[in-house]
Parts: sequence; C-alpha cells; structure tokens
Amino acid sequence: MKPEPERCVTCSDAAVAARVIAVEGDEAVIVADGVAGRVAVDLVPDAAPGDVLLCHAGIALERLEAPPA
Amino acid sequence: MKYVDEYRSPPLAKALAAEIAGLVRPKVPVRVMEVCGGHTHVIYRHGLEDLLPPEVELVHGPGCPVCVIPMGRVDDAIALAELPGVILATFGDMLRVPGGRGSLLEAKARGADVRMVYSPLDALALARKEPARHVVFFAVGFETTTPATAVTLLRARAEGIRNFSVFCNHVTIEPPLRAILETPGLTIDAFVGPGHVSTVIGTDAYRFIPEEFGRPVVVSGFEPVDLLQSVAMLLRQLREGRCSVENQYTRVVHAEGNPRALVAIAETMELRETFEWRGLGMLPRSALQLREAFSEWDAEARFPLPGVRVEDPKACQCGEVLTGKIKPWECKVFGTACTPEQPLGTCMVSSEGACAAFYAYGRLRRPQEEPVGA
Repeated sequence: MKPEPERCVTCSDAAVAARVIAVEGDEAVIVADGVAGRVAVDLVPDAAPGDVLLCHAGIALERLEAPPA
Repeated sequence: MKYVDEYRSPPLAKALAAEIAGLVRPKVPVRVMEVCGGHTHVIYRHGLEDLLPPEVELVHGPGCPVCVIPMGRVDDAIALAELPGVILATFGDMLRVPGGRGSLLEAKARGADVRMVYSPLDALALARKEPARHVVFFAVGFETTTPATAVTLLRARAEGIRNFSVFCNHVTIEPPLRAILETPGLTIDAFVGPGHVSTVIGTDAYRFIPEEFGRPVVVSGFEPVDLLQSVAMLLRQLREGRCSVENQYTRVVHAEGNPRALVAIAETMELRETFEWRGLGMLPRSALQLREAFSEWDAEARFPLPGVRVEDPKACQCGEVLTGKIKPWECKVFGTACTPEQPLGTCMVSSEGACAAFYAYGRLRRPQEEPVGA
C-alpha cells in the first residue's frame, strides 16, 4: 500500500483508511483508493472482510466506525 | 470515498467557518497550535487559514518525526549503512535528511546499500530474503509508527531472524508538548491534538495539558472539516471558560487508545534517559530504546556508532519553526538556500514539515512577507 506521493510515510498523515477484502493469518488484504495491498493485523486481530481499517507503515492501527448519518 | 468525502464537504466547511467567526471576540487574538505535522500539511494543502478570521492564528508544532531527528543520529545511520555486509532500510523521507556528513541518499551514491521501505515489516522481509546480509531498520516516528516497529521486533523474535536489527529513534509526544508548555511567556491558547498518535495512546494521555497548564485540547482528524470543527470546539471551550480534552476524531480514537499496540510497545521498548530533539535540545525520557530482552535486535547494542552531537547549520532556524516562534517564511534561508530539492533543515524535507508544506502550498499567497521571488 503506497501513500500519495506528496505525503510523508513516517507519520500520521499517511495513515489511510482501507477496506478489508480478506484476512489471511496475521495479514489482511486491503484496498485503499483502488489500490490493493497487505497489512499486518496483529493490533486489530478481529478484523473481518468489509471492515475499514486505519493503516500506517504496514500495519492496521484501528478500525474505523461509521460516521453518524 | 466513504470516510473522506463527508469530511471534505464545502457546505460543511463554510458553515464551520461561519461558526468559528461567531466564536471569536473581535480583535482578541487566539493562538492555536496544531501539534501534528499531518495537520500542518492539511492546513496548507486545503488553504484552511484563509477560512479563519484574522483573530485566529494557527501555530505549527513539533509533531513531524523527520523534522525532530538531530543531525548526529543521521550520521549514526550513515555509519551503519557503511558497515560491510549491512543493508540500511528506512522510510523515504529519512533518506534526504541532511546530517553532518550529508544524507543517506548521498551515502547510497557513495556505494552504501540504502533501501527505502514503507514499513519495518518490509525491512524484515528483506532480511528473510538476504540471509547473508544484515538488515538494519532506521526507525523514526511518534507513537503512530512505533507499533509497527514493535510488531516487527516481535515477529523477528518469533521467527528467530538474527540478521535483522533496529536503530531505534522512536520519540514520544508528551515531552515536547511539556517543553513547549513550560516555555516562559507561552502564548499558545489551545492545542489541536494529534489524531493518529491518539489512536495508539488515547485521548486521556493529554489530560495533563488542561489539568497542569490550563489549556484546552481537541484531538482532531485529518480532513479539512475535521480541523475546522476542532478549531470551533476549542474556541467554544475558550468562550465558555471550559478547559478539557475533547475528542473530535471519535470515528477512530478512543480514550484509552489501542491497548494491544501499547502492550506491543511496552514489551519491546522502554524510555531512554534522554534524547536530543532538533530545536528543543536534550529532553529527558522523551524517546524509546529497545529493551534488554531485544538487545540481539538492537543495532545500537550490536554495532559501534559514532554517537556524536552535531550542531545545526548556523543559518538553519528549524528549532524556532518547530517551537512556533517563527513562521516558515520568516526563516532567513526559507526558499533560497533551503528548498525541498536541497533542504538545509529538516522542516523542509518531509512534506509534513511546516516549511515544506508552506513551500508547496502557501508561498505564492504571501508576496509581501515572503522573502522568495514568488
């Protein structure tokens, strides 16, 4: 998963929301802005397909909750 | 895209701008510091300053992890990269940060094996692929990035990968905030708290700011509407005479943070006695080192490092920019001797650096104050 080029990969700015397509062991296959990638889900172990995860530096940090309607 | 479009809505932004205008007292200035470099970037990228009344001034804080790394640590990384058999892997922005002996990119040009990675897990994968080499990951970042390094170390130990180590430069957000809050004559009225650091450490971590220093904090998301709403929430606290930590970024930040991430960090790392920050000097207990149990994966324990303190170039005013004393365009070398192509100081390297963000998005807007022929 690559951040937008003008963004910094070392900090929060590059944390991106990505949707989980599949979970394989301790990794999830994710799609962010149409680009597929893999992230470690050690810190969000109950991640499931359809979840939206906040990902940074190759790992998922947290699950996003849907904004209020 | 869901979770993005809602927070970039022009009608919402306009409504919030009107709300903010109604919350300020005419001619009474309010100085709000956004701590996180990610916020600085968003503010310039979306021109948010133009939506605020003149009374509200946004001051850029120290929260760019690339910008706070002192030159001596870059020299240490170069020394590691030049060791025979070593591959040094790090994030892209770190490659361009100038040390006393040039940058890692220049070391690469001289023949050192320096690779760019997006994750410490990629560096570990490199170690798996190159068993005859030793891969050092040059780790930088606040609490947002630290969990990735912690998870990588735990995996390296679990898999028994011995040709991998971490040169740990992870820093923590509280000590620089304290250093700013303890500055004599502090003129910051309120703080926009970092959003993604807070997914890890939680909003409770900032309670010392209202409790000990009497300044409100709102932890904010990274879209324009997030930031405008956070400014409105801060102004409302000030207007109503309240002072507490509030959470604007509820869709992902919780009061207690991510306990699993905190456990992974605590298992692999501990606070250093002291660490040098660019612009802030030596701050006690402000950075992390690997625990004794992980010394096998600790580049500082495995390899000799120069460990020399290097003074910043005299013309560089990154320290004053990082602490909000001057604006990027007020630096003597902004846009002349120091540009994103040829950075003199760290603030011009990372796109989260206040100088780089202002150079990219704001410099054409300020012809009178701007030293560059824009």
